[in-house]
Formats: sequence, C-alpha cells, structure tokens
Amino acid sequence: MKRQKELGGWLLASPYLLSAIVFFLIPLGWSLSLVFFDWNLISPTRIYVGLGNFREAVTSPRVYNAFVNTYKFMAIIVPGVLLASLCLALIVQHLPWLKQFYAVGFFLPYLASGVAIGLVVRGLLSYDSPLNEFLRQIFGSSPRWLRDPTWATLVISFMIVWKFSGYYALIFLAGLQGIPRELYEAAALDGAGPFTQFRKITLPLLYPAFYTVLVLAVGLCFGIFTEPYVLTGGGPRFSTHTWQLEIYYQAFERFRAGYGATVAVLNAVATFVSVLLIRRVVESWGAKRGFR
Amino acid sequence: MRVLKAVFLGLLVLGLGAIAQVEITFWSAPNPSQEVFWRQMAEAYMATHPGVTITISPMPETPTSEAGILAAIAGGVAPTASENVFVGFGSELVKSKAIVPWNTFPEWEELVKARNISSTIKAWEFPDGNYYIIPMYVNAMLVAWRIDILRELGYERPPRTYSEVLALGERLKAKYPDKFLWLRSELEVPTWWQRWFDFFVFYYAASKGKPLITGNAITADDKAAVEVLRFFKTLRDKKLLITEPLAQGFEVGKTVMTVLGPWTFPWWKENYPELVYGKTFVLTPPPVPDWYPAEEPVYTFADAKGVVLYAQATAEQQKAMWDFIRWVLSDPEHDLAWVKVTGMLPARDDVGTNPLFTAYINEKEPALLPYAESITFAVPPIAHPQFVEIQERMGLECIYPVLTGELTPEKGWEAWKAAIKDLLK
Amino acid sequence: MRKGRRRKLVLLGLYLLATAVLLLMISPYLYMLLQSLAPWREVDRVFIPSALSLQSYRWLLGGGLSTLPRPWLRAWGNTALVATTVTLSRVLVGALVGYALAVLSFRGKRAIQNFILFHMFYPGIILLVPTFLLVRAMGLYDTYLAMILPGLVSTWAIFMYANFFRSIPKEVVEAARMDGAGELRIIFQIMIPLARPVTAIVFLFLFMERWIELLWDMIVVRDPAKQTLNVLLATMFGPYGGYPGPLYAAGVLLTFPILVLFLLFSRRFVSGVSLIISS
Repeated sequence: MKRQKELGGWLLASPYLLSAIVFFLIPLGWSLSLVFFDWNLISPTRIYVGLGNFREAVTSPRVYNAFVNTYKFMAIIVPGVLLASLCLALIVQHLPWLKQFYAVGFFLPYLASGVAIGLVVRGLLSYDSPLNEFLRQIFGSSPRWLRDPTWATLVISFMIVWKFSGYYALIFLAGLQGIPRELYEAAALDGAGPFTQFRKITLPLLYPAFYTVLVLAVGLCFGIFTEPYVLTGGGPRFSTHTWQLEIYYQAFERFRAGYGATVAVLNAVATFVSVLLIRRVVESWGAKRGFR
Repeated sequence: MRVLKAVFLGLLVLGLGAIAQVEITFWSAPNPSQEVFWRQMAEAYMATHPGVTITISPMPETPTSEAGILAAIAGGVAPTASENVFVGFGSELVKSKAIVPWNTFPEWEELVKARNISSTIKAWEFPDGNYYIIPMYVNAMLVAWRIDILRELGYERPPRTYSEVLALGERLKAKYPDKFLWLRSELEVPTWWQRWFDFFVFYYAASKGKPLITGNAITADDKAAVEVLRFFKTLRDKKLLITEPLAQGFEVGKTVMTVLGPWTFPWWKENYPELVYGKTFVLTPPPVPDWYPAEEPVYTFADAKGVVLYAQATAEQQKAMWDFIRWVLSDPEHDLAWVKVTGMLPARDDVGTNPLFTAYINEKEPALLPYAESITFAVPPIAHPQFVEIQERMGLECIYPVLTGELTPEKGWEAWKAAIKDLLK
Repeated sequence: MRKGRRRKLVLLGLYLLATAVLLLMISPYLYMLLQSLAPWREVDRVFIPSALSLQSYRWLLGGGLSTLPRPWLRAWGNTALVATTVTLSRVLVGALVGYALAVLSFRGKRAIQNFILFHMFYPGIILLVPTFLLVRAMGLYDTYLAMILPGLVSTWAIFMYANFFRSIPKEVVEAARMDGAGELRIIFQIMIPLARPVTAIVFLFLFMERWIELLWDMIVVRDPAKQTLNVLLATMFGPYGGYPGPLYAAGVLLTFPILVLFLLFSRRFVSGVSLIISS
C-alpha cells in the first residue's frame, strides 16, 4: 500500500518532472556554457572567448542604456502604477453597487496584446491624427511623440501603467476589503474626517498590498519588451532600449547566441539584485513605522 | 495478361518518376508581385520538366529579409535558392559559408551570353573570383515630384539644385502652409536599410557616385556628404521635411517630393490610379548641390539584388535549381514578363536598347524610361559584410544628431566615420 | 434631508467619475474597433468614422490585388490551437501534481517542492537562447510543437492547485479512500470538481497569457502559415503601415476573443481573484 503511494506520487509528478528536465535543466546547463563562447548560429564554428562576452556586455553602450532605462522606466512606472491602482481600488471600494462590473472593467487593459495596443498608440500619435491636429490648433505644435527620447519614454511608460493599473487595483481592493469597518466607525466617532481616516487607517493597513504591488511593479520593469519593440525599436537613440530588446536583438537578429545568453544572465542578475535591494529598503522603512 | 503488364509498367514508371522527383524550394522577395512572377515561372517550368517540383514562397520580411534568411539558415530550414540578396549580404553569407557559387556550373558562360549580362555581371564578382549572386534587377532610385501641384506654384519643371528646392519649398508653404515638401519619417530611425532610400540617394548624386566604402577604407567624398546633411537639416528646420510618422504623403498630395523605386508603380495602379506619369507626377534624378555642373549626369543609388544558391541544399537540388534558373533567365521573354509583373527593370546590358523591352516601356510604362536611362549612373549598395552596423551607425551617430541640432553636419559626419572605425578591419 | 441629498450627489459624482475612468481605460479597445470599421480614408484621421465599412475586414480576409493575402484567419486559428492545447495541459498537469504534493506523502516530496520553487523563481530570460537551441537541435524549429512542447507545464498552476488542495480537509480524501476509491478517481471525481474556482482562474489567466505571448512564438516559428496572430500582427506592423485599417481589424480579432472570454466568466473570475491575491 505504501509502495503504491510512493509510486503514485512520483507518477503524478512525472509529467512535470519530464518537462522540467527537458525544458528547464537542459537549457539551464547549456546556458552555463553558452556564455563563454562566441557563436554565430549560422556558421559551423564556435570560438571560446572566456569572459570576452561579459567584458563586451559591460562596456557596451547598448547594454548600458538598457540597464539605465530600466531605472528610468521604474521611476515613472512604479509611482504611476501605485497611484493609479490605488485610486482605481478606492473608486471601486466606495461604489455601493456594480462593484464587480467596474472592477472587471478596470482590469480589461491587462488582457490586451502589446502589439494590438501598440497599433492603437501609433495611430493615435501619428502626425495627422485627430489628437495631434487638436493639439496643433490649441498649442501651435504637436509633440514629437515617438521621435523624441523623453516623449517616447513617457508614451511607453503610460502604456504600461495603463495595462497594469486595473490588475494591481485588484490587489489593493482585496487589501481594502480586509480593513474592518469598525475602525472607520471608531475614528469617525473620534471626530476624524475622511482624509484623516485615510491617512491613519487605510494607508497603514494597506501596507501589505502596497508592498506586493511595489515588488511586482519593480520586477515588471525588467521585462519590458513588446511595447518598445513595436513602437520605437528601442529608440530614439536607445532611450527606450531594454534588456529583453537587447537580448532579442543580439541572439535573434544578429545571431550571436553566446553574447545574447550573456546579456540574459546580466539581466537576471540586475533584476534579482534590484528587487532584493528595494525589498530590503521598503521592509526596513516599513519596520520603522511598525508595519508588517 | 497484357493489361496486367501495362499496369505494372505504369506503376513502375510512376514509381521511378517518384524516386526521380527532385524537390526544390525558392524564396521570392517579400514583394507580392515578385512572388507572382516566380510562381508563373515555376508553373511553366514544371509543365515541361516533370522530374522536378518547385515550391515558391515569399521570404520573411521581419525584422528584415536578411535576418529572415539568416534565421532559416540557423534553423536548418534554408530554401534551395532565393532572390533578394545584395552584394553586402552576399559577402556576409559567403563568410559564413552559407551560399555556393553559380559560375562553377558548366553552363555558366552560356547563361551570361544568353541573358546578355557580360557587362552587368562584372560588378557582381566577389573577391575570390566567383559569382555568388546572379542579379535579377537593378533599381535606380529617382525622385518623383507632384507636377500638378508644382504647376499650381508656377513651376513647369522640377527644381534641380538645393537652392531651387528651397525656393520651391518657400512658395509651397506660402500657398499651402499645411503641406510639406518631403515626408521621410524613417530618416530619424536608424534602421540600416532605410539609409539606401534617403542618404545614399542624395549622397551619390552630390558626390558623382563616389563609393562610401571601398574594401576596408572609407573613400567617401566628405564635402558632398556634409552638403547633403546640411540640406536635410535646412529642410527640416524650414518645416519642409517632416520626419514623423504620417500615414499618407505623396500619394494624397500632402507632400510634393518623394524618393521612388519602380516597384511602387503596381501598388499605385491599384490604390491611387489618379497618379499618372507626366500628368500628376514626373521623375528626375535626385537634386544636387548648387555647385554641381548642370550638364553633368547625376548619379543615384541603385537597389540591386539577385539570386543565390544555398549550401544547405543537396548537390542534386542545386543542379535542379541551376537548370530552373538558367531556363528562367535565358529567355528575354521571361525578363519582359518580369517587367510587366513587377514593374522593375531586369539586370541586363540591353534593357535600354533591346526593342523587346523598349517597345513595351515606351508604350505601356513610360515611367520606366528614366529608370532605364539611370542604370549606368546607379551605384550599388556597400559590399562590406558589416553593412548592417555601418549603416545603422550612420543613422544613430550622424543623421539623428544632425537633424535634431545636436551636432553640426561636419561633426556628425566625422562622428559616423569615427564610429565605424572598429568595423573596418 | 440635506445630508441625504448631499450623499446622493456624492454618489452620482462618484459613478460619473468611475464611468469616465472606465471609458478611458477601455478606450483603446473602442478605438481599435471603430477604426477597423472605418472607411480607409478616415482611418486614424477621425475618432469616430462617418460611416461604418467592412472594407478592412474584407481586405484582411481576401487580400488586395497588389498584395497576396496573409493567412490572418489561419493565424487566428494557430493562436487558438496553441493557446488551448497549452492551457489545457497546464491545468491538467497543475491539478495532478498539485494533488500529489498537497495530499499524498511520499519520499522525495520535499525535494520536488523545493525544486518547483527553484524553477518558479529562476529567471526565465536566461533560458531563452538555450531553449531555442534545444528546440532547433530536436528538429522542431518552425513547427507547432516548438510553440507547444516547452510550455506544457506551469509551476504557477501547480502552486495554485497545491495551495487549494491543502485547504481541503483531510477527511474528504480519507472518506473516499475508505470507500475504496483509487487515487485517480479521487482526483477526477472529487478534488477537481471541488477546485472549480481555481480551475476557472488558472485557465483564464494561463489562456490569456499564452494568447498574447509574442517573444517565444516569434523566435521559433518563421513560416507565416504557422505563425500566431500576435506574431503575424507584429511582423506586419511595419510593412503594412500604409494599410492601418486591416491591421486594426486583425487587432480586433486578436483582442476581442479574450475580452469576451473574461467578460463571460467575470463572476467566476471575481470570486477566484482572492485566491490569486493570497498567493
């Protein structure tokens, strides 16, 4: 009987194990060796370059831009999405009826393919679009949306904030719903107005949700790909270049398998370290204030 | 008994035929009319040559057709042969040993004679003395003008020099402040192959066709290059050049100038029938700097591509493909069909002289005449295997900073030269 | 009385705000739909077309004279095929493995659980190039299997099911066992039906994720006949810049099925959301 259970457990887990061995462990092992070779996928030769790939990557202006841009995007996207999703959650929370309708509605942007939305954005921002005509009438000129580094960054950031706000709003919503109403009632009895209630009760008790959304948003910035891929190609002048764009470009447009794998490793390291650092910072900030 | 014998023989023949069947694949360029041409050729060939099956499919075009071909080679699924390869890409393929020469086939000289390309083919010889690409077409780039709008502005013929262009622009803006002279949104995007259709066109015109790079050295005419950059910058500053994405420009009269290759004509015929050569638009060589002598011919860039044979194919497949390509290219009627279907001129020495072509062009496609005349003054793409980076850096380090005012034209040009030093080794 | 009226005004204002924000959030979808139904001269020139036209859809499905039709419908079919197959597999494997980890006890279970955690948090981006090379070495480049095989299992799904099954009282399983039911019967006749909310959420999310996947599908498939709609749209983004109308139509084909799916299952979705949050 026990034997059967042993076998049963392993049998049930076997599809996962098989898949993990083939599509996880083997590539994992392969990646460890790839990074030390200069390998053009086309030609039959593989050249051992030791740490040459790493050296090239850390001195490459393209990689440098991808690295810096992540934090540039973070600086806009993280506050943006925190604010937006909190606002959305608050709105839904205070609606007595049709909560579900609005919550789902706000969530819908998350379902879109970045390519399809990129299409819409390109159309809306093209020179003779109604939006730009309108702006020219009012201000005399329309911004060079996708040709100017600052605007391009803002456009991409805005698209991402739009996409994730509704999703993260659900997290805040769950947090909001977890706050006992009695706290508010007690505070109201003490004479606290709605803003004071918000500051003293809601925000502190939303700390776990805040923390979750923060970490998710930070991690998200390391994986930006589709939006710049279809709209800017990483430009203008690499202002919207990202890690994943660089990996894709090196490995699948220039066919440099070894170098592409190297950039991927650097990306993973940067992500891990950054998320860790930010978590530490936020946790200590929270601990100081007695959260968690 | 006799019936059985017949059936058996029939099956044997079928069987042998099946064994003897060679399957070859050919990738046509991502231009639909070219695909149509090759399909026609393949069908006609297969009707008279039962031992071979030819599959025509369009090559991937994103991110570029070159990357698509490389991806297929990398994935082990390269076709037997494809078109759409220019000398630079060819040299990259040769370096990776991905393509094989055509001239090692015994009938090579025969083909050169039959298609009349003994002069044309010279430019396609590779450093090792072999011919890896058989050119299909040479498209000189010309500039098209909306002569109907120009007439409204008082011009009977298009401007020739930069100053004349600027004067035209002024008059244009005076009458139509919302129109532009030239829409070129890709000018500020570093996509490497887009340089062929803006900078290269004007540069070769201004420099009398001086090559940008020869071998591993920069042999460009700096004065001409800087002049071109200054021209672009001036146009942009005066709001005559618009570099942002705009859905329609020349076709709807929002702009009056555009750089044009003959492949556009079939598309115009279908979607913009109001664009009639001579009435709505005319073609000229690219505008030149003011100091350019008026009597001298103007050079331009030529988009010239051809057919290559891939190393991944078996010897049998390669031979079968060679026979097919030979058959296609040895008959001038086929090249005439090429003109009719794709609107482009085939790469032949006698395009401007052979009555077979001239009769058709004169009657049906007068717009192709200026293209035929420009072939002698057309400069092909850079042959250096690092062409992608070289042309990318031109956009990144030179054109974009110059257009946005970050660098002067002189500094921008020097910046490009400095940026590609490490590639030219 | 005044307080009541004030409250009503505040509520009205709130609903107006909520509706305005909602419209803003879904405006890109509306724009896409409207532009796909606009006459070509008006695409991207006006917000709301003066007349509705099926020109874009007809062109998308039939092609123009100077362009050969791209297999848009086929690409949609490819997306549906890949997304459905992969998601069904992920859900099934997730349930099976989740059950094994949550309910059964056997030697090495700990190891497997830790391994799954390691797998879940390992940065996938590092595996991109080697997995491509692996697929190529297996001779699967440019095939449907290349899009399907690597994605048959989802550690997240396993995690969700394991969590859920752990919350089911042990008595349920034990009672079934005493009745003589084998493990498989327990799984399929008791546990999975119980896990309906989890299945709904897991299926919806995984399906949506796979549907809008771009990077992997773009890398492993080159043949337009096999490409997913997302990839096809991405590749046609540049070249068909002059034909935005049909591209919007393709965008609608790509986006609206998922929207409809989620809206249809919104009830289940909402009830299951708390499950995701707690993870």
